[in-house]
Formats: sequence, C-alpha cells, structure tokens
Amino acid sequence: MHIAEGFLPPLHAAAWGVASAPFVVHGARALTREVKANPESTLLLGASGAFTFVLSALKIPSVTGSCSHPTGTGLGAILFRPPVMAVLGTVTLLFQALLLAHGGLTTLGANVFSMAVAGPWAGYGVYRLLKKSDVPLMVSVFFGAFFADLVTYCVTSVQLALAFPDPAGGVAGALAKFGGIFALTQLPLAVSEGLLTVLVMRLLMQSSKADLIRLGVAKLTASREATAR
Amino acid sequence: MLPIDAAAHSSRWRGRHPLEKALLGLGLTLTAVCLPPWPGAPLVAAATLAVLLGPAGVGRRQLWRAFRIPLGFCVTGAVPLLFAVGGPAGLVSLAPDGPRHAAELLLRTSAASLGVLLFAFTTPVSDVLPRLVRAGVPAPVVDVALVMYRIGFLLLDSLAQVRAAQAARLGTAGRAAVWRSLAGLAATSFVRAFDRAGRLQAGLAGRGYDGTLRVLVPEARLSWRFLAASAALLAVVVAATLVLKGLWL
Repeated sequence: MHIAEGFLPPLHAAAWGVASAPFVVHGARALTREVKANPESTLLLGASGAFTFVLSALKIPSVTGSCSHPTGTGLGAILFRPPVMAVLGTVTLLFQALLLAHGGLTTLGANVFSMAVAGPWAGYGVYRLLKKSDVPLMVSVFFGAFFADLVTYCVTSVQLALAFPDPAGGVAGALAKFGGIFALTQLPLAVSEGLLTVLVMRLLMQSSKADLIRLGVAKLTASREATAR
Repeated sequence: MLPIDAAAHSSRWRGRHPLEKALLGLGLTLTAVCLPPWPGAPLVAAATLAVLLGPAGVGRRQLWRAFRIPLGFCVTGAVPLLFAVGGPAGLVSLAPDGPRHAAELLLRTSAASLGVLLFAFTTPVSDVLPRLVRAGVPAPVVDVALVMYRIGFLLLDSLAQVRAAQAARLGTAGRAAVWRSLAGLAATSFVRAFDRAGRLQAGLAGRGYDGTLRVLVPEARLSWRFLAASAALLAVVVAATLVLKGLWL
C-alpha cells in the first residue's frame, strides 16, 4: 500500500505533503510537550516507534494464499494515540523509504496521509466508539485494526484515482478500478490484521499488562486498584 | 543491520557531507519527477546509474537487490493504467493510451527510485538524523527517531532469532501454528522494545541524563566543487531533456 517513489505527479505529491503537514506538526508538538514534561519518555516513544517499524517486517498469511505485512496503524493508534502515531508513522515511513526502498520521499506526504493519519484516526475512532459502547475490549481491538487497515487502503485508492483518472470513467472509474483491485487483496488482509492484532493484544495482556495500563489501554482490576490505594 | 544501511556505512562517499549527497541524489529524483518522462526519465536514470556504479562505487548486485523492490511495486502499479472502466467499449476494456501511460510511469518511477537509492547507498541514516535539528526539526522528535533507529535494528535481529526458534519448534507447521507464532513474534518484539527502553533509561539515568541524547556526528565539510559538479549534472540533464523533447516535437 506504500505508493512508490515517483509514482505521483509533482503537484499531487506536493498537495498530499501539505495535507498531512498539520497532523504531523500537531503530533510533533504533542510529542515535544510530552518529552519536556517527562524526559524519560524519549526512550519509551523511541521503543514504540521501533515496534511500529518492526511490525512491517512481519509477514501475515492472506486468505488468497499470498503473504503481506501488517500496516500496524491500528495497533499503533490504540497503544500510542493518533497524534503521536502521526510522528512515529512519518519516521517509520522515512526509514522504510531510505533503508528498505519501500515507499518514497516524493510520495512521503501521500503515504503519511494514508498510513500515519487517516488509518490511525479511523481505527482509533472505531476502537473508542466501541469501547464506550461497552463492547468487549478484544472486539473493539479487532474492529479498530480492521478499519485502520481498510481506511488506509481506501485513502490510497483515492490518491491513485485522483492522480490517474480513468480515460473512460474519470476519477470515479479509476476509484472503482483501484478500489476493486485493493478489495480483492486487502479485504482479506484487513481481516487478517484484525485477527493478528487481537492475538497480539491478548498476549500483551498476559505479559505486559503494566505497560498497557500505563498506556491507558488496560485498566487496573478492582482488587488491584484496592491494593494500589 | 539492513543491507542498504550497511552499504552506506562502508560507502566510498561516507565522509562526504550529507547535504552534498542530498543535492545530487534527491535532485536527480526531483528532476525525474518534474521532467517529461520521455526522454527525461531515461536520461536521469542513465546519469544516476553512471554515478552509482562509477564514483559512488555501489556494487551492481547490491544495487539490483535494492532496486528490484521498488521496480516490482512500479510494474504492479502500472498494470491498472492499461485498462479503462466503463464507457462504450464495455465494463472493462483496454485503454487507448494505456501502454504509453504505463511505460511513462514505469520510466519515471524507476528513475526517481534510483535517485533515492543513490542517497541511501552513500549516506547512513545515523549521519542524517542529528543534522535535522539544524534544519528545524524539533530536537525531541530527532531524539525519538534516533532511539527508533538504534532499537529497530536490535529488534529486527531478535525477531529473526525468535522466528528461527519458532520454526525449529514446528511453529510454522500448520495454519494455526503460523498465527500463534506470528502473534508471539509481535508480542515478543513489543515486550523486548519496552524492556530495552527501560534498561537504556536506567543506564542513561546513571550517567546524568537530562533529556537530551548527545551523539557524536562525524565531521564533514561541504565541498563546493562537489556541489557545483552536482548542480552542473542536473543542469545538463534538464537541458538535454528539453532539447531532445523539442527535437521530438
């Protein structure tokens, strides 16, 4: 889902850069405030970013028989919140472009908008909405990760459709074309990523509950709250 | 360490200032994106390849291994341009100018990718990040990026070890086992990332950590000759493209 280097025309590349800039600047300000208030959070935020980067190195089996890697946007947004995710995602995309030749620098703005802004915000929104509706945590996590993944692909389809309108059907035709191709491969992948995120979260609940409580994902149980008091 | 970064650390141009290499590599990328794909992209690609394999001393095999990744994405991405959706020809038909558009896109993306590879193969990320503060990026963001860069490689190494251990214990023997192993892999990397961050924090606290990560940046002076030669190369590519484009028209 990374748009490759040079894939977008210059005006589109610049426009997506301008569109994603306010979110990244907002995230950078939030991160700077956090680091100034708690200097030790530099290391935890760095560890979170490294975890996001490493997630893209995992290969998940797709229903179609092929393999792909998780975007990690849903899990990242649930764990670290979307504003911070915008910065961590931007740095991750920069590393992927320079270290793995995956994505690009001229298309960084477009990739940031789909993977570090739209996907995390959509996934986090769905997760919060379901959590407020007293839906079980793991169901909220599944749909958060599923929608984060799906919205990432939908935004990428829009970006490609705007850049390459169909000669017969225009932007709508191109959207149907790119969206159709993505739907075939990415819908099963979004389901796969949702399932994987649930499995990861369950393991984290067992092994790193203290970290999840600190991040605000898990709550102290009543007995432990009493002990803490 | 990842192959591109490992090559960058031992590059012939490692000692050069990152700004010089950015002007050349990213300048070639921008030229490829902004110029007409024909004949601009082949000229940019030829110039970039000449620099990569010549003065920059990047190995052919190394370059091909890195280049085939974006090339694969470009080929896959160009295929939809061959088809049109709707219209009098039916639901899906061959686009009249499809092959030309797909070929132009392939040329543009290939040339642009080579420009970025020229920068990536000669400039380690660790040389770039500390200098971003001078470019106006907030210091805390750069510090977080530096920690990400350092911990990222360690996590990738431990991920490879855990994956090998899982495979040796039949962790990839069936579909259910694969999912279990994957979830374990992701959870392990989370736990290890935070564990490592905690230990780093304890270590830095013992050394009087005040919230700023001070790292040694290798000294490098800007070479005006290199900058002038890069600008000249870009100017020649632009001029040649415009002249050839005029001749074609």
